[in-house]
Amino acid sequence: MTDGLIEIQNLSQRFGKVQAVRGLTLSVNRGEVFGFLGHNGAGKTTTVHMLTTLAPPSGGTARIAGHDITKDPLSVRRVIGYVPENVRLYDTLTTRENLMFFARLSGISAPERRVNETLEFLDSSHLIDRRVGEFSKGMRQRVGLAQAILHRPEVLFLDEPTSGLDPMGIKMLRDLIKRLNNDFGMTIFMNTHLISEIAKTCTSIGVLSQGTLVYHDTMESAVRKYGDDTSLEELYLSITPVTGQGEAA
Amino acid sequence: MHSFPRSAPLIIAGQSVLYIFRERTVAMLSALFVVLVLISAYLGWSATSTVNAIYADAAVYLKGIGQTVPANPVLDISPLSLLRNMSIYVSLIGALAAIVIGYQLIASDRKSGVVPILGTRPMTKLAYARGKIAALATLLAALMAVAAVISVSTFLLLPQFTLSAHGWLKLFGFFGLSYAYMAMFGLVALATAAQSRSESVGLLLPVTLWLTVTFILPSLTSNIHPTAAINPISALAPAPDTPFFHWTGYLVGPFSIAESFKYLSAGLLDFLPPGAVARSAISPLADLAIAFAAAAGLATLALCRMDMTRGDYNV
Amino acid sequence: MSDHKAPISAIARKDISDAKRDRFILTITIFLVLAALASLLTGAIAMATDVATYNDAKATLLALGKNADTFAKPEFYPLRLLRGAIEQIEIIGAVLGILTGFRAAASERGRQTLALIMTRPVKQWQFLAGKLGAGAALLSAGLGVVFLLAALLLAATSGIGLSGNDLLRILIVWITSSFYATSFFLLAFISTLWMKRPANALLFSFIVWLLLVLVAPQIGDTLDPDNQVAGGVFKQLQVPKAEQNKIKASYATFETVRNDIEVSSITKHYERFTFAVLGIKDTYTGQPLGPILIEKSGDFFWIIFATIGLTGLMFSRRLKSNRLTKE
Repeated sequence: MTDGLIEIQNLSQRFGKVQAVRGLTLSVNRGEVFGFLGHNGAGKTTTVHMLTTLAPPSGGTARIAGHDITKDPLSVRRVIGYVPENVRLYDTLTTRENLMFFARLSGISAPERRVNETLEFLDSSHLIDRRVGEFSKGMRQRVGLAQAILHRPEVLFLDEPTSGLDPMGIKMLRDLIKRLNNDFGMTIFMNTHLISEIAKTCTSIGVLSQGTLVYHDTMESAVRKYGDDTSLEELYLSITPVTGQGEAA
Repeated sequence: MHSFPRSAPLIIAGQSVLYIFRERTVAMLSALFVVLVLISAYLGWSATSTVNAIYADAAVYLKGIGQTVPANPVLDISPLSLLRNMSIYVSLIGALAAIVIGYQLIASDRKSGVVPILGTRPMTKLAYARGKIAALATLLAALMAVAAVISVSTFLLLPQFTLSAHGWLKLFGFFGLSYAYMAMFGLVALATAAQSRSESVGLLLPVTLWLTVTFILPSLTSNIHPTAAINPISALAPAPDTPFFHWTGYLVGPFSIAESFKYLSAGLLDFLPPGAVARSAISPLADLAIAFAAAAGLATLALCRMDMTRGDYNV
Repeated sequence: MSDHKAPISAIARKDISDAKRDRFILTITIFLVLAALASLLTGAIAMATDVATYNDAKATLLALGKNADTFAKPEFYPLRLLRGAIEQIEIIGAVLGILTGFRAAASERGRQTLALIMTRPVKQWQFLAGKLGAGAALLSAGLGVVFLLAALLLAATSGIGLSGNDLLRILIVWITSSFYATSFFLLAFISTLWMKRPANALLFSFIVWLLLVLVAPQIGDTLDPDNQVAGGVFKQLQVPKAEQNKIKASYATFETVRNDIEVSSITKHYERFTFAVLGIKDTYTGQPLGPILIEKSGDFFWIIFATIGLTGLMFSRRLKSNRLTKE
């Protein structure tokens, strides 16, 4: 077994008759930017829900920074940050009010200072006293990200972070992910169905199909074996069936 | 590494109260409730002074024709009963306002998509439940405090109505009772907003419950006419004296919590008609206590079992 | 069918099948039916008790060899038993109208289908007319079930059956009830189409409902000084009728305010009209229908004009493009 920051062992999730995730075993090392690739409905969000302690698995387990997701969910929550897909936050509250709330919930001792520092890091200090309801999708995404990194988590989970963003927004997000990884040493677990995103941002890649992990390698090795984006896309299409199915979330 | 937020329920409650204050519907209903409390005080005063004036006119007439003038009927009425309409407004608008507040406390989290984020913060679901229940308790307390200030001022400003120490005690007993009654509906709304898939069902389930206990059950256990629910006196009229209504009163009575509330309110505000008896299998106070405990249990259970992966509602 | 009518009927038919599968609307309709029938049944049981008491008293008198004709036989008017059902329609029928109206608008906005419909060759008025048609049809069907079952139950419990005249009165009340519920449909439908958030529109409709259905009649009722003293203030003071009127005359403004508050509520008009037609109010019990209709036409037209007015309001405003979706 490798010394991974995220250690997943035979993780499964079942919704009634639908087996959304089947015996997933995977390890992500500290400092990696892991891209979790799969069709819509492949089981990516369900996996992230289990890893972020939002839903208990129906089988198997996982450890994050040594904490078991089912036995010690509170300790897991202390070391993770999460940005759901299409994050919106409280739209009648200002950025400051939203972030102060989450900072306090995360047990940060000097929340005001941390909120300012975080917004500065994200080049978003100008948003601080504006209501979130007035924001574009890109701005909301940045506040959503700020919320997730306030407590400087060891692992950051991002669910389809580029969904609905314009090319400018996507580029900005990509740069931020790299800075979070470099400056804070955060390990990043990113769900996406866009192969181009993985190629540009990630250091390792896993491909999920119908709830089963069908490919896992470092980005370097994958590019070495399969070449650039285009070839990677061919690889992806060859190992995953055209119609994704099976996932409820 | 950061400390574990021991005060998570407090943080949740504080944020919820702040957010709810900006919800226009909550503000609208709360304002309506306060206005009606004012109207209730005015109505009690105005109707009583009209009767007083009619009495003065009638006394002149009766003296003129040489008849003895009977005692002023107003003097037979306890000053507390001046506020009897409050019991109706609590059971109508107060309960509905509590439902809307309870619903919004959860719906605001679900609609803004923060439920999954809250689920990944280092706190238990019980802490979340305690925070939301504390927020509900605070908001309703604020509403009740405004109502109490208005009522107390009425008694202090109108010298013709004075309360004894016992009277003040009963008045505050009434506010406590009203608070618990409203909170009960708020708690049910917390539960349905947390568990329902659809936004309108989440709101309409507690409203349907409220309609049932306010207008339907009393027609089986007390006054058989549903609109009697809007009149504090006729709401307490007994059901016909037959075995059928004895049995419905006995068996349905425990579920007829609006009636239990009105019965206790009438006792506290001194307008319980002489000879009024509660026919229910359970005494009104015990009935409300059980219902309150059940609502609190339901809310805690529903919030602790809330699916934290869940986001916005369906239609 | 002409070209104008085709889109209207398409929208109406879609809405009706949609509502039939919407368990919530169905549940509330069943709820109304059960509530109305329960009220009818309790009324019938209370009435049967009165009749039994009379019969017992009569038998006692006869057994004592006394003349039993001296005290009046309680007259049995089956339609009066509809009082509870009418009161349930006043309250829950209005709620049914609000919910149907809310769903009619919110479902289109929530599913983003409003934008799809408005990009079809359908005129806005046709869309609105289709929606209104479906809503009114659903409500009168629901109320139809209430009155049909009530009539059957009345015929069964009274033992004397219902005359043609009775059925005509029920028919008139059914039509009036349909207009009454439709006015609440329009209230919720219009506010849900116009307001930014559909959920807020639902609450707004409930607040209006609360004010019209419960608060206004309540205030009117409470302000009546005669209601302040058990048995009535004049009765207790033993003031004769002529003098009562003289005293009352000096409180004319008070009385006008009281009456104005009451008549601002559509519910009060509905109650006054239906209570008269069905003979629930004592003064109209057993009176012929014609004069009652003439006397109470004001109340009837109030309800009709309220509905027509709201319909006009609905057609008067263009749908805003930023109200096509949920938020």
